[in-house]
Amino acid sequence: MAVIAHDPSLPTQTHAEVTRDVVRTITDKPAMGYYILAGSMAFLTLVLFVTLGAMLKYGIGIAGYQPPVMWSVFITTFVFWVGIGHAGTLISAILFLFRSRWRTAVYRSTEAMTVFAVMTAALFPIIHIGREWVFYWLIPYPNARFLWPNFKSPLMWDVFAISTYLTVSSTFLMVGLVPDIAAVRDHVSGWKKTVYAKLSLGWTGADSQWRHYTRAYLYLAALCTPLVLSVHSVVSWDFAMSIVPGWHGTIFAPYFVAGAIYSGVGMVLTLMIPLRKVLRLDQMITEYHFDNLAKLTLLTGSILFYAYSMEYFIAWYSGSLFEQTTFWRRVFGPNWWAGWSMVICNAFMSQLLWFPKIRKNLASLFVISIFINIGMWFERYVIVVSSLTNDYVPYAWGQINPSWADWCILAGSFGWFGLWFTLFYKNFPIVAIQEIKEMIPMPRRGAAARGH
Amino acid sequence: MTDQAEASGVDRRQFLKVIGTAGAGAAILSGCSTERISTLVPYMVQSEDQVPGIPTWYASTCSECNNGCGVYVKTREGRPIKLEGNPDHPVNAGTLCSRGQAGLQALYNPDRLAGPMAKNAAGKWDAIKWDDAIARFAAKVGATNGELAVINGYSASTFSTMLTKWTAALNGFVTNFQPFSREPERLANQKTWGRDDLPVYDFAAAKYIVSFGADFLETWGSVVEQQRGFATSHGFNDGAMSRAVFVGPRLSLTAANADEWVNVPAGSETLVALAMAHVVAAKTGSAVASALTAYAPEQVAKDTGLTADQITKLANAFAAASPSLAVAGGVGAQHRGAIDLCHAVNLLNEAAGNVGKTVMFGAAPSASEGYGSIQPLFDRMSQGQFQVVLVHDANPLFTLPKSGKFTESFRKVAFKVSTATVLDETAAECDLILPNLHGLERWDDLMPRKGVLGMLQPVVEPVRGGMHTGDVLLQASQKIGGAVASFNAKSYEAYLKAEWEKSFKSSDFATDMREALGRGGVYTASTTVDQPKLVATTALAVTTPTFDGPGDYVLMPYPSMQYHDGRGANKPWLLENPDPITKITWQSWVEIHPDTAQKLDVREGEIVELTSPHGKARAQVYVYAGVRPDTFAMPIGLGHTEYGRYAQGRGVNPLDLVGAADGQGFLPYVGTKVSVARTGDYHQVARVDGTPRQLGRGIIQTMPVANAIKKMTPEESYKAIGRGEAESNPELEQKAIAGFYEAQLDATKFGDYANEHPKWGMAVDLSRCTGCSACVTACYAENNIPTVGEEQVFRRREMSWMRIERYWEGGTNGEPLQARFSPVMCQHCDNAPCEPVCPVYASYHTADGLNGQVYNRCVGTRYCSNNCPFKVRYFNWLKYNESAWPEPLNLQLNPDVITRVRGVMEKCTFCVQRIRSAQNTARLEDRDLKDGEIVTACAQSCPSGAIKFGNVKDPNAKVVQWKQNHRGYVMLEETNVRPSVTYLAKVLNIETAAFTGAEER
Amino acid sequence: MAYRHVPGVLASFEHIDAACSAIRELKSSGHDDLTVYSAAANHELEAAIGDPVSPVRLFTLIGGLVGCTAGFGLAMWMSNDWPLLTGGKPIVTVPPFVVFGFELTVLIGSLSTVAGIIILSAMKSLKGRPYDPRFSDDRIGVFVPCGADQAAGVEMLFTQHGSVEVTRDA
Repeated sequence: MAVIAHDPSLPTQTHAEVTRDVVRTITDKPAMGYYILAGSMAFLTLVLFVTLGAMLKYGIGIAGYQPPVMWSVFITTFVFWVGIGHAGTLISAILFLFRSRWRTAVYRSTEAMTVFAVMTAALFPIIHIGREWVFYWLIPYPNARFLWPNFKSPLMWDVFAISTYLTVSSTFLMVGLVPDIAAVRDHVSGWKKTVYAKLSLGWTGADSQWRHYTRAYLYLAALCTPLVLSVHSVVSWDFAMSIVPGWHGTIFAPYFVAGAIYSGVGMVLTLMIPLRKVLRLDQMITEYHFDNLAKLTLLTGSILFYAYSMEYFIAWYSGSLFEQTTFWRRVFGPNWWAGWSMVICNAFMSQLLWFPKIRKNLASLFVISIFINIGMWFERYVIVVSSLTNDYVPYAWGQINPSWADWCILAGSFGWFGLWFTLFYKNFPIVAIQEIKEMIPMPRRGAAARGH
Repeated sequence: MTDQAEASGVDRRQFLKVIGTAGAGAAILSGCSTERISTLVPYMVQSEDQVPGIPTWYASTCSECNNGCGVYVKTREGRPIKLEGNPDHPVNAGTLCSRGQAGLQALYNPDRLAGPMAKNAAGKWDAIKWDDAIARFAAKVGATNGELAVINGYSASTFSTMLTKWTAALNGFVTNFQPFSREPERLANQKTWGRDDLPVYDFAAAKYIVSFGADFLETWGSVVEQQRGFATSHGFNDGAMSRAVFVGPRLSLTAANADEWVNVPAGSETLVALAMAHVVAAKTGSAVASALTAYAPEQVAKDTGLTADQITKLANAFAAASPSLAVAGGVGAQHRGAIDLCHAVNLLNEAAGNVGKTVMFGAAPSASEGYGSIQPLFDRMSQGQFQVVLVHDANPLFTLPKSGKFTESFRKVAFKVSTATVLDETAAECDLILPNLHGLERWDDLMPRKGVLGMLQPVVEPVRGGMHTGDVLLQASQKIGGAVASFNAKSYEAYLKAEWEKSFKSSDFATDMREALGRGGVYTASTTVDQPKLVATTALAVTTPTFDGPGDYVLMPYPSMQYHDGRGANKPWLLENPDPITKITWQSWVEIHPDTAQKLDVREGEIVELTSPHGKARAQVYVYAGVRPDTFAMPIGLGHTEYGRYAQGRGVNPLDLVGAADGQGFLPYVGTKVSVARTGDYHQVARVDGTPRQLGRGIIQTMPVANAIKKMTPEESYKAIGRGEAESNPELEQKAIAGFYEAQLDATKFGDYANEHPKWGMAVDLSRCTGCSACVTACYAENNIPTVGEEQVFRRREMSWMRIERYWEGGTNGEPLQARFSPVMCQHCDNAPCEPVCPVYASYHTADGLNGQVYNRCVGTRYCSNNCPFKVRYFNWLKYNESAWPEPLNLQLNPDVITRVRGVMEKCTFCVQRIRSAQNTARLEDRDLKDGEIVTACAQSCPSGAIKFGNVKDPNAKVVQWKQNHRGYVMLEETNVRPSVTYLAKVLNIETAAFTGAEER
Repeated sequence: MAYRHVPGVLASFEHIDAACSAIRELKSSGHDDLTVYSAAANHELEAAIGDPVSPVRLFTLIGGLVGCTAGFGLAMWMSNDWPLLTGGKPIVTVPPFVVFGFELTVLIGSLSTVAGIIILSAMKSLKGRPYDPRFSDDRIGVFVPCGADQAAGVEMLFTQHGSVEVTRDA
């Protein structure tokens, strides 16, 4: 017992307290601030769809595209959100297999974040194509003329990777939720009870259910683990498979995966640091957890640092005029500001986390996490846009000039993501009740059980 | 639909009628027929030469300028859809310039007047009936006794002759006015040889070409013909190529195509010419030597900024190469010393003995008058000597400088009549407008030179309610009676044919009219070259020309290639086809040298105010190293206050700054100095070139002539010169990819791909390409490419499937500034990077080696464009297909090519529609395709024949021979995309030591 | 809600060791059809109940294999069915198709696993057995279906093992 008490990964509450604390986040009447937050998110979502409507009416030309840069803000944002969507499954699946117990307190929220981030990302392929209304042609559905998609196209890989990831990660989230929803069901009344009862799929926590559940959860985690690594690799191949200097890189897959986790954890920090205060979960989500998240950030950030340097080394070592020009112009060309924001926010900011003082201080951690989000958006901007501005034929070189539509879609995507997340954390257990309990030893006879 | 039909004044039924009539040699259709068809003509009986879906071709003559090129009009279901050169025609021999091809947009111009209009008391326009209109015209003309002035912009033709006779009968005064009528040359020829006609220059025969300001590839003279000749002699044909030198203050397109640009201040070209003549005459002991004693190179050197040595070398080389050719003139060299200049050049040609060899008199291009005769006319107007003025096919109030107060004089005339088809500046001042028919709607002819009768026949029912001015005159004559009662032909067509019959019977035309119409006219090769007698020349004393105004900078207006004197400014094709040198679309600008720009602290796009003693103008700056620091150059053609939706209020007209005062008999375009002031305003320049330097990427490769003669490949040549990365694929790489391509190729033999197919390929000889951009317009016309407008060009969204890339070489640290031009279209790569990245197979490879693009399948991911190393794919960002062709412009669309909806990618198809139709024809005739049977639109139009297309599997195909040429290379070979387009390196006729390919490889 | 009511005895425990010992005892005394409720999975309980390992892994395995085949099959068949040449690459090329094989393996694999949970759990009906909300909180519940004749014995057994609450559910 004493031994356990010292392990910071273990919660200090009893089963009853865990249930109470978590269910309270749902049953408490929301504060005014919550409505304002949800409202503004809803508004941004509206902006997103109005802009999309305008693009459907007039064509995507109302966005600030300028050839030769055929992909700009939309694809940048797409990759940004897909990246965000990686921390969740990493923490819930991979760390689950590694039996690292500190994940338990945060994995539900990160997993939710993952699902919503991928839902946001999934909008963008549709938003950015020229004829949005025929996006389904990318799906190999049986049709009268037997027209099939091109399975050699990286974009097809993308379609499969993203849709698989969305399905599997949301399944994973829901499976984890069922026993917790059952717990909530048993603590609410009235119409809510009926709703949660339906959602709990008749979960009672009977041995016959736990027996299959625990087993299945293990296999799901096992399946998710390679998936996490694959999805952003596939996204990276969208670029690496091309011959565009600055895209055509063999290190792209690991480079992108590291970046994705980095950005994902960054977003987790941005969300959880305030959320834990708002929901008064500081007993369950402690400095210890943030410390671990920060270390994860430091690790992936350092990998990024390496990847950046390696890119430049390869560009120089390749002896390819085109590669060298591209990378020179990344930091000294017209888009130097983007290039430097990416290097500073990602490579350098993350290194600050070597210092425990900074790492363990939630305020500074929060600030850094904001920089990470910004930096990772710029990383994608640099890769997508500034590579395209100067490829092979100088006569065709050009810059982009984003318009109101680009910014509305970008802001709207945050609204869309935020709306889902806001609704989620107020209506579902943001901390995995049953897994926390799993870690808390049951009281024994004889032993002086705590909390009595 | 019906209301649209009203609006456009044309509908299918009328087309069907045209088919029935124009089809039959167009013998029945009267040029002035404007009655509407009320009964549907069924297609029960197939008219003799009209098959739906099969184009019908009519021979006609281009009336866009006075060079009178012969055209073939491609019509589909009764409407002209493309203009191409007439191969039988001696002037243009089957090719056509941008302006000529854009004639179609004059025919279908949305701003064409629907019918006659009269200005009412309120100064507004009333639409009136033709009878009424003609009655009014006749009444006014009948009332005058001799107080009738006629300004006729239509060049030598039966019509012009009739108009002249008609005016004479009324004791009126007629001027055959052309804005750029090369008067200084005539006056100089008068001075040199005592004859005022113009020679025809044989650029093809010349071994050494020196141009003194004459932009013979742009707007000076018969450009298509001259370009063909230039390409023949200057294009590298296995060993032999002429050398071209340009002397003048600005690097024009012509100068950019020359091997050397001798940069001298405006006005001092004369001295260079004289000094050269001096040297040459001394060499050849020509009679002119005596006149030139005062002009030894040493004496003129300091005034020209050249060294005596330079001039001497130039002169010696010129003398050494015989026959050589020196030309002078053109608006760019029309300063107050222009006559001296042309005279000096005449002497130079005399001294070098070129007269009769490359300078050929006899086939005189038809004389036209210019400023020298129009100015007195306007003076008489201002004195109120005229009651009536008739302006036909001319827009003097735009093409003459404001400072001449021509508008004021014009207003002094009581009754002013115009036959403009679009409300232009002159028509706007008139009281009555009798819109003429377009050249493709009427019977007419053109006689650009002796022995060439170009015929025009109506190939389409009038698109708008115009009437042939000839008919107007005839009908008016009957109303007037009296002196003009004799003009009693039942229609102008009848009159014309009678005239033709007469000339046919005459000795030099012995032919039958049907046959002549089929050939587009009657051409009798004029073999008679008469040697002009040199007027005994006394010692010359030329004075350096003066410039009005205290300004620091000489203003050099030059005619735009696209807009000519401004008549092209309402044609979107010409507006969007970038200027070959500046690559600016939809705008006009003032060219300022970088140093000057720095001194004035102005940047590109900044709007400056230019002030001359004659006026002010606000123009946006284009910083250009190809203009002298002491000179500002501005294109003529924009700055219209009227003239339709595309032209109105667009750009600025440099003539507002030019002084009209003269007395020499021509307008000194380059006769003004301007001072400049910053305004702080800014207007983005609609440029389509990204970075105009090659940065060592070998996009356009060149070699000095010596290496070309040694049959070096570009790689070897660069290696020999010790420039750049020698081989694009190092040995190890070569070894690594050896056999890989072939192995892959076998792996692709599947399904239809395993069968026997031709493989289409193209070769482009950069030694012949001049960058004139005729191919670009041809591509727009053939493939229904939408014009997107200035706003979209700001975003670089122009859709030109075919673009002329223009790169600069040198220009820094003493190296001469040189331009490189290359047409770039889809390269139809064997390993096309655009194909595998498309998720829906919209971009795929056809069995005959084309890079196919299925518009209907395209969802618009745009990955193909990102992955295209040449960036030749163009995306429909907005609904261009709905905005580009306002009625009736849509009638010009080629039915064989679909228009693309927004959201899909499009690109060059190698004119697949032409390939397929040729294949079908061959199949129907049960034979194999012949080489050269398929000609892409670009190749067809190219005046210098720089493009070859064909089946690369056919060993005898011309394209294969070109591809095997030692100069052949493919762009970006490093990427191993295996393009189907081979470029033949440009050959520079310079010493190998002087080669500046620093930025190429 | 007319369903068959299962008579029996429901006991709830606060202490894990108590519950376990009670379960072992019941098992040994021939009561195999127990239902044990707990708020979280617990190894001691599993051990006490001693059921064999869940067969859900079979669903995962089969689903995965089906997915893998489907992925490769789909890509290959469709490419052959509409054979278009792109970029000079062979019509059927394995490397790019690995992606589809992998993705569908994961997709169908995990979906069938979830199906596994549902099907397997549904195979043992809990209809008519009593449940107490506290079981999802901190209590452990054990229900033994038995007739009135055995009930007394079971109740006594539970109290001996320290159940905090025993109700007969007749």
